[in-house]
Amino acid sequence: MKRALQFVVTYNTAFIFLVMLVVSATISDVFFTPSNLFNLVRQVTPVGIISMGMLLVILTGGIDLSVGSIVAMVGVLSALFTQTMPLPVAILASLACGLVIGSISGYLVSMHRIAPFIATLALMSIVRGLGFIFSKGAPVLVNENATALTDFGSGNALGIPNPALVLFLVFAVTAVMLRYNVFGRIVIAIGSNEEAVRLSGIKVSLYKFSVYAISGGLAALAGLITTARTAVGSPVMGTGMELDVIAAVVIGGASLNGGKGTALNTLLGVLILGMIGNIMNLLIIPAYSQQVIKGLIIIFAMLLQRFQGNSK
Amino acid sequence: MMHRVELSNISKSFGGVTALKSVTLKVMPGEIHALIGENGAGKSTLMKILSGACTKDTGEIFMDGAEVHIRNTRDSKKLGIGIIYQEFSLVPELSVAENVFLNQLGETGMWMKWGKMKKQAEEIIHSLGFSINPALRAGDLSTAGQQIVEIAKALSENVKVLILDEPSAVLGPQEIQKLFAILARLRKEGVAIIYITHHLGEIFQIADRVTVLKDGTSVESLRVDETDRDSIIKLMLGRTLEAMYPAHDPVIGEEVLKADDIYLADKVKGVSFAVNSGEIVGIAGLVGSGRSETVRTIFAAERRNSGKILLHGKEMRLQSPRNAVEKGIGMVPEDRKQHGVILSLTVKQNISLTGMKGISGWFGFIHARKERDIAMELIGKLAIRTKDENQAVATLSGGNQQKVVLAKWLNRNCSVLIVDEPTRGVDVGAKVEIYRLLHELSDKGVAIIVVSSESSELIGICNRILVMRNGRIQGELAKKDFSEEGLLRLSIGATEAIK
Repeated sequence: MKRALQFVVTYNTAFIFLVMLVVSATISDVFFTPSNLFNLVRQVTPVGIISMGMLLVILTGGIDLSVGSIVAMVGVLSALFTQTMPLPVAILASLACGLVIGSISGYLVSMHRIAPFIATLALMSIVRGLGFIFSKGAPVLVNENATALTDFGSGNALGIPNPALVLFLVFAVTAVMLRYNVFGRIVIAIGSNEEAVRLSGIKVSLYKFSVYAISGGLAALAGLITTARTAVGSPVMGTGMELDVIAAVVIGGASLNGGKGTALNTLLGVLILGMIGNIMNLLIIPAYSQQVIKGLIIIFAMLLQRFQGNSK
Repeated sequence: MMHRVELSNISKSFGGVTALKSVTLKVMPGEIHALIGENGAGKSTLMKILSGACTKDTGEIFMDGAEVHIRNTRDSKKLGIGIIYQEFSLVPELSVAENVFLNQLGETGMWMKWGKMKKQAEEIIHSLGFSINPALRAGDLSTAGQQIVEIAKALSENVKVLILDEPSAVLGPQEIQKLFAILARLRKEGVAIIYITHHLGEIFQIADRVTVLKDGTSVESLRVDETDRDSIIKLMLGRTLEAMYPAHDPVIGEEVLKADDIYLADKVKGVSFAVNSGEIVGIAGLVGSGRSETVRTIFAAERRNSGKILLHGKEMRLQSPRNAVEKGIGMVPEDRKQHGVILSLTVKQNISLTGMKGISGWFGFIHARKERDIAMELIGKLAIRTKDENQAVATLSGGNQQKVVLAKWLNRNCSVLIVDEPTRGVDVGAKVEIYRLLHELSDKGVAIIVVSSESSELIGICNRILVMRNGRIQGELAKKDFSEEGLLRLSIGATEAIK
């Protein structure tokens, strides 16, 4: 019994994930149907892709609030780009926009030591505004001839939705980088003790800059995929998404103080959060109650993690 | 007469490391009781238990004959135990008056009684024989002024037991005399005072009795007037000085590092010196004399305002620690836990932090085997006591953590190694091993700079000692002129080491 409890506490994210899975499958006949699972995966893809960048930022002890706005701005821009540019150029330009925004955050945080919360809060506002300006406040349709993009967004490969494959790729790269690469090692080390890393002769600012650039780039990727899936770029999409992403990373056991967190647990956190929304939709729970329940589940997950911290 | 406070058979361990093994300490009212022992002997831990900052594993605490239970700092405060830590616990942004009554702010009702608070704070400080404007920001006071506020803060609560943790470390000689006057007055009023120090001289000047701690056990309690310096040293070290510091006669080669007229804000004011290959140069000085700042500037951890740093006769453009490390300079920083090791990472990961290039290949991927081999080799070479290379550094003892920091730099084959307080909080056994290691490096031709507050350590291992005061080099001692007194004289402002 004690060992079972120990197991639950140690692998709390996986435990919550399994519980959610079992509960969802029991209370809804529809949950385990392929169409619903695909739906679930499609829904979590943007948050999932962004969460990997957010994990890197949070591992260094920072935070990135601008990601939701980047999703909207890049979503809008990518739709606009398809109207004037060849598709490959439009895609690259869209991703570059995210990288640039992320780089600005990274520059402010690493070179000018502005608190990440403030720097990215400012960019969140600026970028959201730019999204509205570029779109003139209205949704922008993707060029009808850019079928390659929309086909990709709504299509499948090997029976799995394409966006989900992108998410898996991003996850796999992040997981490998964190475990087997110098970059990941140093990112974790910076979050654990930045000064010790600096005094070891490592250029901390470069790594801090990079994680924000990556986070911006991945947010752009999420925006692009959302536009590809819906064939519309809207300036209101991604509103509040940064909070869902942060919640997912934290449910995955990462510490906002930095230095602690894994890609797999973050992915599980994303899926847990997605399942909560999915099952409540299936049960036709009203949206307002959903928000309350979601908050409660986040608190429960955090308490379980505190328990882990204390039992050590 | 009944003891004011009696700690009986107190034991405490952190993780796997034993800090205290059934320690006993008895203090009478109206007594100044010195607690002495090497760094890491357990002095601070014992006092933290008494003040409720940490809890004992086993043992009993009695006050005035009755057993008491101290579970947190509130309990100890209620019992009338006041403590003044080495690092002050003042809030720099608040006024002196607020700091004096900080612990009682919540108890006087909802509103601040500014007039009353200021008046009372002034009275308490006055009763100590000083006058400080209670409206000043605490952060604006001098170190000595802050300490007076600390004492006033403790006295504002009717202390029966006052603990001072190395109060003299941050004070100049005149300020120490003032402190002693205050302590003498408090003794007369019947306060039991526990005075932690490692300056033997102070014990004979102020204390009535002394308890010696060594490796977490209380060796003996003596009346000060019935003992002498040598017997206390013997009790503290458990061995003679000669055994602590093995003889070493290095081959000193040509100049490796030269600092030329270095300035750093108001901390370092025109410091110049050179270190030759194989030489171990010590830097002594009181806290705040600019010792650490000087070496941190050489390592480029601080951005110097002016001055040159030459390596093998060539001027170096050092902008950041990264540049310094690339040029072959390594530094073991003063604050091990904040700056030296990353506690949550493993021994292996800490060691490889300075040698990422050596263990990674294509696109920065880490060769797991290579990383492990290097870590294992250094763990063996430095005799780091760890279960394996994957143990978290947080679970190691202070001495072994320090060896991990040294291993980081051995991993890089530096030509200059700076060690700042290399043995602070390290047990005696590990100390000797660290000294041996420094000697070994010197034999290999590494130029070594040692910053330390322990004069005996500098005298024991260095070939030459620079003494700093107020950001300048006050004097230099060659090996034949080494003496603790000489170092002290220079560090408090004399221009000659010998009278």
